[in-house]
Amino acid sequence: MNRFDDIATWLRSSPGRVRVSGSGSRAHTLPKITDATPLHLSQYNRIERLDAGDQTCTVECGVPRAELDAALAEHELELPCLGGGTIGGLFATDPFGPAAAGCPGPRNLLLGMEALLASGSAFKSGARVVKSVAGFDVHKLFVGSTGRLFVATKLHLRLKPRPRTEQWFANRALERDQALQLIHALRQEAQPPTVLQLRRERDGSFAVGGRVTGRSVHVTSICKQHELAACERPASFHVAAAANSSEEVLNGNALPSALPSLLSALPEGAPFTWLGGGRFEAAMPHSQATDAALQQLPQANVTGTVLIGTDARRGVGTPMDPGEQRLAEGLKHALDPDGTLV
Amino acid sequence: MTSPAKSPNLERDLAQLLGRDRVLCTRDALLAWECDGFTVHKSRPRAVVLPESTAEVQAVIKLLHSANVPFVPRGAGTCLSGGPTASGNAVIIDCARMRKVIKISTEDLFAVVQPGVVNLNLTTEVTPYGLHYAPDPSSQSVCTIGGNLAENSGGPHCFKYGMTTDHVLAATIVLPDGEVVHLGSTTGPRTPHGIDVLGLFCGSEGTFGIATEITVRLCRNQQEVRTMLASFDSMSAACRSVGKIISAGLVPAALEILDQATIRAVEASIYRAGYPENAAAVLLVELDGPHEVVVEDAAEIATIFVAHDALKVEEATDPKERKRLWKGRKGAFGAMGRIDTDLYVLDGVVPRTKLEEALEKITEIGQRHRVNLTNVFHAGDGNLHPNISFDGRDKEATARTIAAGHEILQLCMDLGGSITGEHGIGTEKLDHVSMMFEPEDLEVMARVRAVFNPDDLCNPGKVLPQRNACAEVSKWPQMVAKVLDVEDTPQEPESTS
Repeated sequence: MNRFDDIATWLRSSPGRVRVSGSGSRAHTLPKITDATPLHLSQYNRIERLDAGDQTCTVECGVPRAELDAALAEHELELPCLGGGTIGGLFATDPFGPAAAGCPGPRNLLLGMEALLASGSAFKSGARVVKSVAGFDVHKLFVGSTGRLFVATKLHLRLKPRPRTEQWFANRALERDQALQLIHALRQEAQPPTVLQLRRERDGSFAVGGRVTGRSVHVTSICKQHELAACERPASFHVAAAANSSEEVLNGNALPSALPSLLSALPEGAPFTWLGGGRFEAAMPHSQATDAALQQLPQANVTGTVLIGTDARRGVGTPMDPGEQRLAEGLKHALDPDGTLV
Repeated sequence: MTSPAKSPNLERDLAQLLGRDRVLCTRDALLAWECDGFTVHKSRPRAVVLPESTAEVQAVIKLLHSANVPFVPRGAGTCLSGGPTASGNAVIIDCARMRKVIKISTEDLFAVVQPGVVNLNLTTEVTPYGLHYAPDPSSQSVCTIGGNLAENSGGPHCFKYGMTTDHVLAATIVLPDGEVVHLGSTTGPRTPHGIDVLGLFCGSEGTFGIATEITVRLCRNQQEVRTMLASFDSMSAACRSVGKIISAGLVPAALEILDQATIRAVEASIYRAGYPENAAAVLLVELDGPHEVVVEDAAEIATIFVAHDALKVEEATDPKERKRLWKGRKGAFGAMGRIDTDLYVLDGVVPRTKLEEALEKITEIGQRHRVNLTNVFHAGDGNLHPNISFDGRDKEATARTIAAGHEILQLCMDLGGSITGEHGIGTEKLDHVSMMFEPEDLEVMARVRAVFNPDDLCNPGKVLPQRNACAEVSKWPQMVAKVLDVEDTPQEPESTS
């Protein structure tokens, strides 16, 4: 559907259970639901407004990330967070969080939205300008909701100027301790990399990669000081795709100080990535290995959940605070009382 | 909700929970809590309680919930929208005594604090580790982290570093029924499989519950900080300089403008900073980062100033000199006390590209309503602070002040902005909410609030107008007189002290 009124009318027609989808790039992370009608928003894809002077834009949720990036580049702007697919899908799944500590993730870039309740009733939240505290930030609930609370149709986004200079880097074939030391050293910088990633490859070797941005004098200085090896922008920041069907992907949040404990809790050689904002992914060889790791994570102050696995396994993870869980369920019920959006 | 007559033993029961010295009930003792920084709305609470721990807050809330007595969370009371002002017979739960810094992690860059910790004190506490807490409202020397969380406070450095919501990782909350919940964690405000409940809580103006422990992100101090002050012979030139700095892709830590009336008030006050009194506006720019970056940024900005005919440019890297340049900006609101007895501080937002137009029209509105209007604002965010100085004892002057404020907020909306950038709705802007939101939007917000606060006992009458109030907004100017005539006359409660 490519018109707001058509989407609203369709929702008002009581279509039964509905799953909102964008490009489908993260569909494999969602439970399979056979009786839900897909609501494809990939045709709802207009960049409604791009205010270069105010560094904000309003986009329909089906706009592809690549298309928005190209439009922003013409104005020397960027959306400074990782992730692809459609813009709606990126914010609804928030696959990476912030790419480095102190850098914005989707929750920090979403200024407001226009949306439809499952009943087809329209509402809005937030504002188009970079600063507003009017009303409750209902739009914040969209980030990571996988479209289960309401159907966001337009997002108002905060943009940032493209850095004068950028350098992607990847220091590969490192020992574990070397990699952790490099991560630590880069985090100590007054102006650290704006993307920072630790990877463990399938061969067990470690790599530290990321993006240094700013004035060329700064970029050159950091790259030289830490002997960073220049490279192209990586094609993916996810853990290497599972090669066999029994493999699961565990994801969660971990503080830098917890990295040694987290790595110890994972099977030797399990592919792993961690972004400086705290989000990690690990490819686990089988469910027993996942369960064993999940038991150890709370002691390390790490949260984790099965992101990719069988339907029965997806969502298995470290316990959430029961109060927060109850509030989350209450919000789902308040916004979608019939459980239409799945 | 219960009146004092229906819960006659409440004050005694509260005193049993906290001790008599931490339950204030006498008329004189309550005077300091009858309003916040928005002095137009005043209402004396039924009582004020001063808990010191999560357990005490929980015990107090359970008692109030069981007695069906409304309550209002409060930090330092520096809010400028009436958010922590008690309405009716509400009890204020003042968190000022909850001022412990519980934990500091220099490795993972976070601190866990009680809500009564003063914003600036947290930075002072972590300064020895080369760290600071970034959000810095003008009231940072007195306002509390708990209040900042409730209001999603901003400040000059939010241009680069973001608002409070961008710096809160987790919070322990006592819900309005007394249940204690934990939102977020030190690893992040949202788990990958959960929704952002903490993001929703932040900025809910104390209507969703009381945060009793807050985990905030700390930032590393930059290698170099440089403050620049440029004076201009027109406000337009100052605004155009801001536009040029932003469009050049520069990201200063702060971009602040003061107009001539503010400069003169500051220079006549104890906050005197040596600002040029002949200037129509001064622009304060702060740069931070690695030394070589700051040097290049400063040179580029100096060029922009010259191109916009700056009268004078000062630069300071020495902390003492930087403090002097900031002194006038930080003290600007205090300096307004020289102009009149009361101050109405608005905080509407416009797109940054509309700053010039907004300021011209604001001046026109001020002249038409014959109010004493000055401007000091976060230019980088388009967050205006038109300040109207008035004598609150003069009802006619107060009415003109509020009417001018109403028009200014409408102007911000007409220019595509927001009615509030950092002060919140509170009670001040209840009549303006419909400028920004339709009834359907407010209905969704009411549903969300009901998940946390189903009985509406926690800070009632704030943020969302009563259901039938939106329809009244079109006759807002006529409501001015009505607003002024509302005087709460709370019943004198029995004394426990």
